[in-house]
Amino acid sequence: LSMTEIRAGFSAIKANIQSRDPIRSRSILSHPHSLHKVKSSDRCCITHHLFTFYVDKVFKHCRTEDSFVNRKISSIANSFLGARRRLGQCREQNNCVCGEESTEKFKQILANYEGLNVTSAAMKSLGELDILLDWMEKS
Amino acid sequence: GDALLPAPQSISILSTNMKHFLTWSPVIVQGATVRYSVEFQGEYERDYANGSWIPISECSLTTATVCDITPDISATVAYKLRVRAELGATRSRWGTMKGFFNRVTTSLTPPLLRVLADGHHLLVELADMGPAFQFRLLYWKKGQESRVQQKVMREVSSVVHLDTMEAGAEYCVKAQTHVEAIDRSSSFSPTQCVRAQGDTSVRL
Repeated sequence: LSMTEIRAGFSAIKANIQSRDPIRSRSILSHPHSLHKVKSSDRCCITHHLFTFYVDKVFKHCRTEDSFVNRKISSIANSFLGARRRLGQCREQNNCVCGEESTEKFKQILANYEGLNVTSAAMKSLGELDILLDWMEKS
Repeated sequence: GDALLPAPQSISILSTNMKHFLTWSPVIVQGATVRYSVEFQGEYERDYANGSWIPISECSLTTATVCDITPDISATVAYKLRVRAELGATRSRWGTMKGFFNRVTTSLTPPLLRVLADGHHLLVELADMGPAFQFRLLYWKKGQESRVQQKVMREVSSVVHLDTMEAGAEYCVKAQTHVEAIDRSSSFSPTQCVRAQGDTSVRL
């Protein structure tokens, strides 16, 4: 999965998005444990879960008054759809098994998300996209 | 109202080497300057954002009948595009391009390649085509077509050293592009051959 275009789109709006997140003390993706603690066997499943999370829950609550930001969010969202489709092919070939750890980790991320009001949670999740991209590219 | 100004027609996309342009026929109103606005809708907007449309600011109230949509077509999914005409406060209905556009259908042309012999050195120059492009070069010594060598390049620097040639021998090169984002390659460029400096008869 090439994250190049997603990262380019995110870099263009990162400062803008992160400036809209007033709650610095909390994290959606990294609390209580970093993504880096996820076992390699669970990586594909967590990645697919997270793509679905962003597509279903995050992007739609991130619309702004800034046309440039909205266009970049659209670019990222559509790239996520393309990437999730390719990951879906892995799932069909049973190469994307969901272990207990990934299920727990994803439940924690959802709990973190639902612990905030939806717009703050969505904006914070979008602002943490580089955490996801770094983790995906590190392996 | 809107009915006075017809919607733009003949809306289509010209897409070559991952550069995508929307074009349409002008709406003619005698003695007046008609302007146009363009919007796009990706698969995400259709399926997850209530079919919303996103304006392209660079092509809002433009007098041109072409719009560079490349920055917004940045995912390999199906997009829809629409244009409307505007004259003062009057706006036409939206003219929507028939069908969808997916960048996977872009036409890929062979790279512009120049092959040079600098003494015994086989060099090539490639025209830069943007970050989406990789280049695959095949090169061989003439007469040894079965021993083709390959070099894949992600970034293009001005001149690339391919090989050190045997004195007086002739070497041939051809190249194609590859776009990872759509997993497609162009056809090969025409083969170009150059001869290394020196006399082939000098053999011990």
